[in-house]
Amino acid sequence: MGIGVESLVKKYGGKTIVDNVGFHIADGELVSLLGPSGCGKTTTLRCIAGLETPEGGRIAIGDEVVFDAASGVTVEPYHRNIGMVFQSYAIWPHMTVFENVAFPLRVRGASQTEVERRVVRALDRVGLGAFRDRSSQQLSGGQQQRVAVARAIVHEPAVLLFDEPLSNLDARLRDQTRAEIRALQRELNIATIYVTHDQTEALSLSDRILVMRDGRIEQFGTPEEIYARPSDMFVAEVVGTANFFDIVVDDAGLGRDSGGTVFRTAFPGAAPGKARAMVRPDRLRIGADDGAGGPNRLRGTVRQRLFMGGYYEYVVETASARPRVLSAEAFAEGTPVVLSFNDENCIFLARD
Amino acid sequence: MNGVRSLASSERRRGPGWAVRAIFAATFLSAAFLILTPLLALLHGSFQTGSPGGASEFTLRNWRDLGSGNIVHTLFVTCYISVATSVLSTIGGAGLTWLVYRSDFRFKKSLVGAVGLSFFFPGFILAMAWVILASPGGIFNDLLGHVFGGDDPVFDIYSVSGIIWIQVLHIVPFAFFTLRGPMIAMDSSLEEAGYASGGNPWAVIRRVTLPLMIFPLLSSLLLCFVLSVEQFAIPAMVGIPGHVNTLATELYLLTSFSPPNTGLAAAVGLAMSAVTGLSIFAQRRVIARNTAPTVTGKGYRVRPLALGRWHWAANTICLAYVAMSFFIPTLALIYTSCIKFFVANPFDAAWTFRNYQQLWESPGTLRAFWNTLVVAGGGAVLGLTLGTLVAWFTHRLKPPGYRALDVLAALPFGIPGIVIGLGFLWSYVYLPIHGSLMVLVFCYVARFLPYATETVGAQVVQLDKALEEAAWASGANRLVSFRRIILPLLRPALQSGYFLLFIAYFREIAAAALIYTASTQVLSISIWAFFENANWGVASALSIVATIVTVALMAAVMRAPLKV
Repeated sequence: MGIGVESLVKKYGGKTIVDNVGFHIADGELVSLLGPSGCGKTTTLRCIAGLETPEGGRIAIGDEVVFDAASGVTVEPYHRNIGMVFQSYAIWPHMTVFENVAFPLRVRGASQTEVERRVVRALDRVGLGAFRDRSSQQLSGGQQQRVAVARAIVHEPAVLLFDEPLSNLDARLRDQTRAEIRALQRELNIATIYVTHDQTEALSLSDRILVMRDGRIEQFGTPEEIYARPSDMFVAEVVGTANFFDIVVDDAGLGRDSGGTVFRTAFPGAAPGKARAMVRPDRLRIGADDGAGGPNRLRGTVRQRLFMGGYYEYVVETASARPRVLSAEAFAEGTPVVLSFNDENCIFLARD
Repeated sequence: MNGVRSLASSERRRGPGWAVRAIFAATFLSAAFLILTPLLALLHGSFQTGSPGGASEFTLRNWRDLGSGNIVHTLFVTCYISVATSVLSTIGGAGLTWLVYRSDFRFKKSLVGAVGLSFFFPGFILAMAWVILASPGGIFNDLLGHVFGGDDPVFDIYSVSGIIWIQVLHIVPFAFFTLRGPMIAMDSSLEEAGYASGGNPWAVIRRVTLPLMIFPLLSSLLLCFVLSVEQFAIPAMVGIPGHVNTLATELYLLTSFSPPNTGLAAAVGLAMSAVTGLSIFAQRRVIARNTAPTVTGKGYRVRPLALGRWHWAANTICLAYVAMSFFIPTLALIYTSCIKFFVANPFDAAWTFRNYQQLWESPGTLRAFWNTLVVAGGGAVLGLTLGTLVAWFTHRLKPPGYRALDVLAALPFGIPGIVIGLGFLWSYVYLPIHGSLMVLVFCYVARFLPYATETVGAQVVQLDKALEEAAWASGANRLVSFRRIILPLLRPALQSGYFLLFIAYFREIAAAALIYTASTQVLSISIWAFFENANWGVASALSIVATIVTVALMAAVMRAPLKV
């Protein structure tokens, strides 16, 4: 079952938090809502869960309309067939691990054998089979997070909702849990919405990413699309590090920076006039200055070199910018270099 | 899902549901009825010539009489006593707080325990014990007379300073418990920075600790002032015999002795409420302005300041306080309860258990016991239920009108007990509950509603909203999630709220003094009555039995798991 959201509007005391948001998520698909804090991503998720009542729009889970402002339909959260993982995990401290996970089955009136069977399976899935009789207060943050996931999937809901589930874990645990969530979601094949402000999480987990800003959708597409062809500078920076070059685009669709270097892009359509060219640090090639000219070749000087382990991170000063470049090759600070890139790794964006 | 009953799509509703709105309306109306009725009745009464229920007509005389010399004099005495009490109690409370949370005082745990004991020691029993100890014919004067000769008593508890002395002993624990929260929360690295900058302990206290604690100290001053103004039992027991009247006792005398002047009493009561109400309002403002930085990080431990050779002084002062406020009074009561006729010298005493026997043989006392259990045990359930509902609506659900409910529920903080009692006296003659125990229950529920809302509210605020939302997302409806998630998590607050209310209802005199009848007499009133009739032995015996019964009952209540 999928999720459909149409022209959703949510206001708090006159301030519009979610402004006419609409999207559709297919069955089995994992979609991340990505954006800075206050962009309305969590509010959107809470509207889908039924924890907030929107002012306008329509929400459907599978075939069932769970909210429709026009016809006055509001299905309470406990009548929506959802599983949700909260940012604070919301593990009930007065229950054991087993009872926490059993709760969604118990309130649905499942038999004791059914509860036992499903809870054991859910706990095994998240690797907590041995912890069933632990008090939930004796769990680490990572274990609490797993209990929250087990509780969300135990009743095989139609959709899974994650509200920044990894933001309270340390970095190493976050990487591991991220991979596990992806594997689990693939296995269960449930439509999933995953709210995050972490670009790595969104890029690595998602089938598609929905970038939000000030309550509106900025861009909705696959991680690869959004990374390579962001619709504007905001999106470019939300999904990774971006180098921007101030250029002026001529009628032929070529850009030129203040040093006279010609920028060429594989994605035409930018309006003539002032614009910005965007190239990712990992798509810039760095080489010794051989004096050769030509399009998409920027001459500059290495200003800073940081050794990152598997590669170097450079800051290079060119005529119009100070781009960051990643490379395994070593260049000393002060060395004149040439940065080059392919047409398909360059995109022209409007200046904000 | 297979094999499990699905509720989805079986029910569609709009909004949070009419049930919630209905419960809110009921809560609001109950609180408004309980709290506004006595206030409005007082306002009505203050313009009447007669007494409640009797023939009466409109007059402005009562308000004019507020300016009479007698009332103005009483007002000055009340203010003098209350300012002295609040200053001394706050100094005492602050000193104890500092010793426990900033110094290396050795007996911290015992001190906190002992302060807790005196916190729950009823004021009227403390006053009674100090009459036995320090009245002109009491134990101390007798002892000193034997030692130094002479017939003039050294101590006279029936005086202004006597009232202040007992009130300070009684209110210091309150100041301690008000100040300890802010003291614990205060970032002690600010004080350590003071020491690191070369300040000696005295300079750090004076220039860092005190300025940072100024708002909590002010707040404590104001609260102690209010407690002192509304204090009834202590000035009634030691003030009335010494012809020292405060507003609270004046109001009582105006109402209880003929010719009664209930109209003037109503005006006095409203004037008193204005004083206490304004003080509470000021205290709220002070708290809101408190901007002292508080500890944010965790695992940070305060390095206690070494008292060194001041240890002996700290030990002596604390021991003296604990002895004066609890242990010596208790011993005096036990002694008095076990002798036939009061004599100060135990070697002259005729020892007996007759006083305890009399309790069993007096049907009035047994009925008072039963009434107290009904009012305190049952009434506390009612008070806690209303308080929990108010806290849940004002802190969590916040439906339209919740602010008004919040203000309404905080009102009794500013109304002295004797005044609420008078308000019920003016109103209950018109209500069908006239003359039944329900009058006392309603009066107590109204008077101590803030105790319940504050205790439960503090826990509601702490409760992560996601805990309840997770239950909804798991498929539990509002009722089920309240019963399975919220109620168990609120249990500690509900238990301590019940405990607080039970104790408060159990020992209340002020609110009951004007509205009890022969058939609705409660224990606190019985003890007071025995004592007033110079029957010190029976009064003491009853105090001790009542204390033991309370402790035993509360232990049982706290032990029993709440079935949810």
